[in-house]
Amino acid sequence: MSQNKTYSLLSRLVDIRPEEVTPSLLMFFYFFLIQVSAYIIEPVKISLYLRWLTADRLPYAYLLSALLIGLAVALNSELLQRTRRAYYLAFSLLFFISTLILFWFLFRIHWPWLSLIYWFWSDLFMVTTTTQFWIMVNDLYHPHQARRLIGFLVSGGLLGGVSGALLASRLARHLGTENLLLICPVLLLFCLVIIFFYSRLPGKEEKQSAPSGARSTPLTTWREIRSSRYLSLLAAIVAMGMIITTLVDFQFVSVVGSRFAEQDARTSFLGSFLTVLLVFSYLLHVTMTTRILRQSGLRLALLIAPVFLLLGSLAIFFVPAIYMIYWAVIIKGTDKSLSYSLNQSVRELLYVPVSPEIKYRAKVFIDMFVSKFAKGFSSIILLVSFTLLHFSLKQISLVTIAFILLWFMFNLEIAREYVNTVKKNLKIKWQDANLVISENIDLDLTKLVFDTLESKKRSSVLYAMNLMDLLKTEKLSPELKKIISYKADEVLARSMDSMLESGGSFSATDLDRALEQEDLGQDIEQIMSLDVYREVMKGYIDRISADRSSETETSRMEAAKALGLMEPDPAVSRNLKRLLTDDSPDVAKYALESAARLKQREFVPLIIRHLGRASTREEARRTLASYGSRIIGTLKDYLSDKEEDLNLRKAIPDILAQTGTQRAADLLSLELKKQDEDVEAEIIEALHRLRSRNPRIVFQKELILPEVTRQIKQSYWLIIKLNEFKEKKEGWLPFQDLEASLAMHLKRIFELLSLIYPPDEISRAYQNICQGTRKSLDYSIELLDNILPKELSLLLLPIIEDLPLEARAKRCQKLLKQLEKSMLEPGPATGR
Amino acid sequence: MKITTREINDILIVDIEGEIRRSDITDLTLHQWIKQQLERGKRKILLNFEKVEFIDSFGVGEILASYISTNNLGGKLKLVRISRKLYLIFQVTMLTRVLEIFDDEQVALESFFKE
Repeated sequence: MSQNKTYSLLSRLVDIRPEEVTPSLLMFFYFFLIQVSAYIIEPVKISLYLRWLTADRLPYAYLLSALLIGLAVALNSELLQRTRRAYYLAFSLLFFISTLILFWFLFRIHWPWLSLIYWFWSDLFMVTTTTQFWIMVNDLYHPHQARRLIGFLVSGGLLGGVSGALLASRLARHLGTENLLLICPVLLLFCLVIIFFYSRLPGKEEKQSAPSGARSTPLTTWREIRSSRYLSLLAAIVAMGMIITTLVDFQFVSVVGSRFAEQDARTSFLGSFLTVLLVFSYLLHVTMTTRILRQSGLRLALLIAPVFLLLGSLAIFFVPAIYMIYWAVIIKGTDKSLSYSLNQSVRELLYVPVSPEIKYRAKVFIDMFVSKFAKGFSSIILLVSFTLLHFSLKQISLVTIAFILLWFMFNLEIAREYVNTVKKNLKIKWQDANLVISENIDLDLTKLVFDTLESKKRSSVLYAMNLMDLLKTEKLSPELKKIISYKADEVLARSMDSMLESGGSFSATDLDRALEQEDLGQDIEQIMSLDVYREVMKGYIDRISADRSSETETSRMEAAKALGLMEPDPAVSRNLKRLLTDDSPDVAKYALESAARLKQREFVPLIIRHLGRASTREEARRTLASYGSRIIGTLKDYLSDKEEDLNLRKAIPDILAQTGTQRAADLLSLELKKQDEDVEAEIIEALHRLRSRNPRIVFQKELILPEVTRQIKQSYWLIIKLNEFKEKKEGWLPFQDLEASLAMHLKRIFELLSLIYPPDEISRAYQNICQGTRKSLDYSIELLDNILPKELSLLLLPIIEDLPLEARAKRCQKLLKQLEKSMLEPGPATGR
Repeated sequence: MKITTREINDILIVDIEGEIRRSDITDLTLHQWIKQQLERGKRKILLNFEKVEFIDSFGVGEILASYISTNNLGGKLKLVRISRKLYLIFQVTMLTRVLEIFDDEQVALESFFKE
């Protein structure tokens, strides 16, 4: 079958990319073969042990296995670090093949304690091969890839397990229990072939467990785990799970031992039990695991097993003795089926946010060492409770319940820690640009500096007035003063009166000195507040402000500036209103500046008009913003009025944002709900700025979410269009426009999401999406999965995922239909 | 504040000496003194600040009040040889656009003659 056909077939079953087909199939079959072997080895192990050493001695098997596995883990860890991955895997397989043949031979001599050694060996096989499989998975895939493909890979293992258990069940009576072992070496030889191809796969990242020169021992790994709260919790839940599994296993094997006396019949029963168990697990896995993880999230997935086992353990107190085998089958079935399906996927997911340097060491240590220690611990519990204190199976259930409650608590805790750990893995590449600018640059000061420099050329009076303003801000650095004073003499000589031409001139430094030493600023304020001053100036300003000729433009600019420095009175207001309607943008700018100082309500309509003029829009924005929250209502009226000049309306959301108030946020959110496309972009941007300026502002989800959905729908439409035009991609302008439009919609979606979900995290996710690397994208999706409601993150996926355009378009079409059909407005107040 | 006067043609040149400030008010303020001159029929007045060491906002108010009084009677009040600081104040307050200010007494006198 060609690669394309395989992909086409697989993509119907699993969310897979073309380049992932070969490695995923290799891993699927590898896990399948390993698990076939494991599920032949497992019933043989239990059956032979019950024959030779009986259920009473089970705690010894658990204990011995746990103790010796520690040494094996240390050896395995050493080999993992010292050997190339492919060699390490091949040697392990060769070891298991040869020892399997050896066991088959030795079982012929009927030595009872051999079943104990075989018990340990089979545990070693299970732990080593499974851990090695997951190490291979981690080498091959990035976190989000792994998340997509885990279901498929685990299915391979489950199918293998079913096949193995079925073989054991069907062949035990015909071949004999011991002879079943000879099937496994053949299967493992196929695994060797897969390892050969695996070692030649491109793009896999063979992550060494420790940097060179810093190889770790189990003790240092243990210290690393202890120093990380997340890894400690991970180890704790693995330990709790293992203790509970061992206690349940003991109860199950005890019941089976007393029910089935004949060895091959017992092997056959165990094979059948494991077959049904695995089929059930498989069905559970394919129907529920992904759904639970995607729709309910990690937290719920972590709590399912404890809840069911708690109910199962309580049930023993209500089951009659003759039905005990059914109870044993059900509780063992619950534990194992959840462990093979949901718990397995959840545990692998929990490793995702751990950094690669620690992940492999920690994984080996926890999976092999911690879990075996927990098994040893539970065997001691059994030795004390069953062998010494002669607890009944019911009393052992009480012990199990205690551990289930602990497990429940640890699971809750790690779910919380998981989100924090994912966050740490995401890098913030930039902060909100507006925030950075407003924090680092004083826009008003910058404007004043430019105005001052500009006014040098126009008039000595304007220059002096601007310089005065500038120096009053007390923010001028010596360097800036030098720049402003540069060539001041030359300019003044050209523009000033005859008196100054004969030697009088001033610079910023002179003026600064005068201001510091002699309270010049205070004198000027006092002069301008004098009645006589206003009387002197009144006639002049009246005359100038009424004259619209170009000859008096500079004088009108001076007058406009001076009015802002005067005490407001009817004459000042009258003249400023005249100058606010001046046709000259330069005059209007100074009039706007003065209006910002005087802040009289009667100027507002005249100022708002300037929002429609490109030349004075910025100054008008600044002026209106200086009025603060008292003109929010007026601004909102203009924004809502569709008859108004569009440029004027477009400028208003930003002014509302500058107020930084809850009321502005509420009004803008209400305007957003109207879905007025003319001003939608400006409103979203303004809302985002409000969020940046004032983190205490609360945005209403019911107003924001419909707009998020609308933006998502528009993005879907763009992706579908892009796919239609993909043939013309090369330099085709409309294609580039569509791409730009899609990027813009994505930005808007994230700006909106930052209003109702943690803004820092949303911003991180967006930045990492923009970064565009596979890894950053994976972490972003991981983070979004954890902060957004499931249905919303599912809607976002086709827009942000790294999929071929065709596949994205297909998904968009499907989701678009769903959205239109159900009129879904995602997650009404379901945010975490 | 000490005031001495000279007269060239019908132009009254007022030489002011010392400080013009609120805390140093003499029996007669500058504005009152100018008003007396206006009552005596003087309509062309040139205030010479060459020997003025200090002037505050009160002093500027006196000048402006004198200017208004003179103007109201159809007269002319002009200023000569004001300090750099005072010129700066007049620039910032835009008074340079209303008041006639000269650096040279002769040029100032000629401006009266031209009218």
